[in-house]
Amino acid sequence: MRKTLAVMALCAGLLGVTRSASAHHAFAAEFDAARPLILKGTVVKWELVNPHSWIHLDVKNADGTTTRWMVEGGSPNSLFRLGFSKDSLPKGTEIVVDGYQAKDGANRAVGKDLTFAKDGKRLFMGGSAPGAGGDQ
Amino acid sequence: MRTQLFAFMLASAVAVSPAVAQTAPAKAKAAPKAAAAYKAPRTPDGVPDIQGVYSNSSAVPLERPANLGAKEFYTPEDLKAQAEAAAKRAPAAPTQVGTVADIHYDTSQFGLTRVLTDAMASNRTSIITGETGRVPAMIAAAVDRQNKQRAAAAGHQFDGPENRGIAERCIYWGNEGPPMLPVGYNATLQIVQGPGYVGIVQEMIHDTRIIPTDGRAHAPENIRQFFGDSVGHWEGDTLVVDTTNFNDMPAVGRGASRNLHVTEKFTRTGPETVLYQFTVSDPSTWEKSWSGEYPIGKIDGAVYEYACQEANYGMANILSGARADERKAAGQK
Repeated sequence: MRKTLAVMALCAGLLGVTRSASAHHAFAAEFDAARPLILKGTVVKWELVNPHSWIHLDVKNADGTTTRWMVEGGSPNSLFRLGFSKDSLPKGTEIVVDGYQAKDGANRAVGKDLTFAKDGKRLFMGGSAPGAGGDQ
Repeated sequence: MRTQLFAFMLASAVAVSPAVAQTAPAKAKAAPKAAAAYKAPRTPDGVPDIQGVYSNSSAVPLERPANLGAKEFYTPEDLKAQAEAAAKRAPAAPTQVGTVADIHYDTSQFGLTRVLTDAMASNRTSIITGETGRVPAMIAAAVDRQNKQRAAAAGHQFDGPENRGIAERCIYWGNEGPPMLPVGYNATLQIVQGPGYVGIVQEMIHDTRIIPTDGRAHAPENIRQFFGDSVGHWEGDTLVVDTTNFNDMPAVGRGASRNLHVTEKFTRTGPETVLYQFTVSDPSTWEKSWSGEYPIGKIDGAVYEYACQEANYGMANILSGARADERKAAGQK
């Protein structure tokens, strides 16, 4: 991973440029810029499906009730190459999602940044399994 | 992954975007220049063996940035200067919360950027070869055809799934070609051979090309397909593939018509590398033909399934988003 991380550090500026080109579909048609949100919840299920993975999580509301949300993530093929497997995000993991809600108002969102609640570390960045695009 | 095979491409760092910064590859390997002295191994039936799992990631843009004019290759001095400039460049400002541009993954987190992908080194300024390095101008009739298509689609882009882009519908991606072009992520393809056939599966977004090399003619003229009809033959160590019989929506896009004709060449240039070359012509679309080339390199690992349609929740979400927009526009909640 040494190379990958070094290059990412240098390439932070590229991200804004490649975003639209990297998308499988029109995010802005699906999600609402007027509905940015931050969700803190517990992973219930992780659907590793193409073209986009979906994390299901239970979010506790202020009144003590729980709402189930679905959060869209990147292609599982890419995640595998980053070093992640189906066991990497176990049920019960507490995560924080910074993203945007679906335009139709449903409890779906795109996960712009996903972090572990315990330490704020990013969920998927910097996998280290073989074939993850880094040195072995 | 065998990093000694690949390196991040310096050449196009500046070409792709002024904001791009890329580091000098510590173990860069020069792109194959020609088949030269390398003799490809043979399959049991005696033809060159080009089989393997390859990455066709490339940081070289398809078209040459206009400011480079007729300059087809970067010099070593250019590359050094670019790397130095890139190292000093400040990162671009992040997108602003609440803007359309901000509605996206942080692609680096999800491995969806070219900068996380191994790409073969190249000093080319564009994949398209020749003096201009660009797709030639469209003829007037083709411009007219394209304008009419756009006018017919206008205002109906979200009517139903049929109105959405062909990639969004999980039918194909433009990179699949022919000609096959590098893709931003999951840029993996596998070539397999059997007696009289070459098969190519492209991970994005799942299609397999089956190319007979037994000398047969093209399918009848009335058979029309998204990827056309490909037939191949061997010229020395090179697989030459001729493709015709496209339908009205060839994956290469750019206004191409059913009269598209693509010739591709696959030449194994070393144990781990294949040089991919192509020529595209369509007299119904462009003033002249255009050609390009880029190297592909073997990788460890496999092509993964990309079963796109089965879980394409995005399509339903996009259409329900459009309905929500319509209700909002109509003053409803």
